[in-house]
Amino acid sequence: MAFATKLALGDVSPDDCPPLLEPEFKKNLDKIREMVAPLLSAEATGIKLDEDKCTGCNNCVVVCPVDVAAEPPTSEGRAAMSTDTVFRIENGVSKIINLEKCRRFPPDRLNCRVCEQYCCTDAIEIW
Amino acid sequence: MDDVVCSGCSLLCDDVSAEVSGKSVSSLGLCKLGHTHLEKVVMLKSESIEKKLEKAVDILLNAKNLLIYGWTHTTDEEVQEGLKLAEMTNGHFSSSTNLGPWQAMLHSIHSEGLAIDLEYVRNNGEFIIYWGSDPSESLHRHSSRFAVLPRGQKIPEGVESRTIGVVDVRKTETMKMANHRLIIPAGADAELLDVILSELEGKSVVKDKVLGIPGSELIGFVNGLRKSDCTVIFYGSGVINSGKYDSNLSGISKLIKAIRKTGKEAYALPMFVEPNTMGVIKAISQEEDDALQRMASGEFDVALIVSDDVLANLPNIAAKALARMQTVYVGLSGGFTDTKAKVSIHTNDPITAGLGTMTRVDMKEISFKKWKTRKEHSTIRDVLLKMQDIIRGKKA
Repeated sequence: MAFATKLALGDVSPDDCPPLLEPEFKKNLDKIREMVAPLLSAEATGIKLDEDKCTGCNNCVVVCPVDVAAEPPTSEGRAAMSTDTVFRIENGVSKIINLEKCRRFPPDRLNCRVCEQYCCTDAIEIW
Repeated sequence: MDDVVCSGCSLLCDDVSAEVSGKSVSSLGLCKLGHTHLEKVVMLKSESIEKKLEKAVDILLNAKNLLIYGWTHTTDEEVQEGLKLAEMTNGHFSSSTNLGPWQAMLHSIHSEGLAIDLEYVRNNGEFIIYWGSDPSESLHRHSSRFAVLPRGQKIPEGVESRTIGVVDVRKTETMKMANHRLIIPAGADAELLDVILSELEGKSVVKDKVLGIPGSELIGFVNGLRKSDCTVIFYGSGVINSGKYDSNLSGISKLIKAIRKTGKEAYALPMFVEPNTMGVIKAISQEEDDALQRMASGEFDVALIVSDDVLANLPNIAAKALARMQTVYVGLSGGFTDTKAKVSIHTNDPITAGLGTMTRVDMKEISFKKWKTRKEHSTIRDVLLKMQDIIRGKKA
């Protein structure tokens, strides 16, 4: 169970389990690799940002608790101007400029999903 | 980067910055609409306008019945020059605000103007209702800057301190962040308003489904109105362009009065999209404007269209009539109206010119900021002043 949790968090890969590498478990290994593939394609936080869907509405900037702490005027709806925030709207679309500051980033891995919750166009998805 | 004011929509965002290097544009804080608008303006090719001005003025002076139309993308100062030009040419001054916004602002719901501005909503708005309006599609930063997400003086937790309702005829993107989502049949706004009003007054009319909305959902919505100390209804084109704007706005007005009777605050604010709709409405007289009907009946033979792609937005019958007229276009390049015009004079835009004032959708005046960018194009004001000079010269 502990290994499964670590696998889900992205701390280990299926190949880190020696018994799975044995020939008789090949089917299981392939299946598990298939299951965790989306996790491997996501960022370390599990956040995926589709710039084609983004309208640059600033919702993610204003609602992100890290951004509010890093640049307090964003809490009142102002655009992020510093380089200290997680999100910033650049050239009309949202960019993640400090992924490591996200509350989902290891080692904290808090289950914060507010950016996804208030992204009206579904440009932000969390795996 | 320099601080700029965006003229991409009626929010006129003044907390953004941009930089232009050759044809390349970088921006911070501008939404996709604003950034795209800035890119379009920067791509303008420079051109000589002197010969075009002479030709344009000749067309205007030879008109039997001249219409001067458009204006919602011009500054307040440019509207004033347009009014002077109309006087000099005996032209009929009208604007594309008569496609709904003008009528809404003349309605008794705004008999005392707009009672509050968007900053007040940010600081006090508890129950925010988007009725027939979808900021996710048209005013991208409305929710994040003012109405839904930001924290304010009496809204310490931002969105957690507010309740959000959306009423529309379809599922909209804004509904994703709403607590109450009411999808109603087209044209049923006034009927729903009646039901909400009755329920609010304690008549308990909601038993089962109303207009397809589950009774429990509707009662929850009304309870939200009762609990809120400050309710703001943002009405949009779904209310004013549904063919029943009068009864819709009257219904909203009655609801606001009923809420206020309970000692709570309630307001209605418009969600007009074009950048300077309010500036134009403020500048023109309060008389009824029948330009659309006159246009459709073919009464005008020449039209000066200023900075509005009206051919893309007018009702079919008026657009067809306009397409048959001789037209002079002044404004940003691109669009049907520009292509169809006999003479087109391309100008700069306030976002890059950094000059003048526009009036935000809540009637707050926003002045453009000067910044470092290419300014070789004339502004609309420059063109209008030159036209006035040529006319004076010809008349003398």
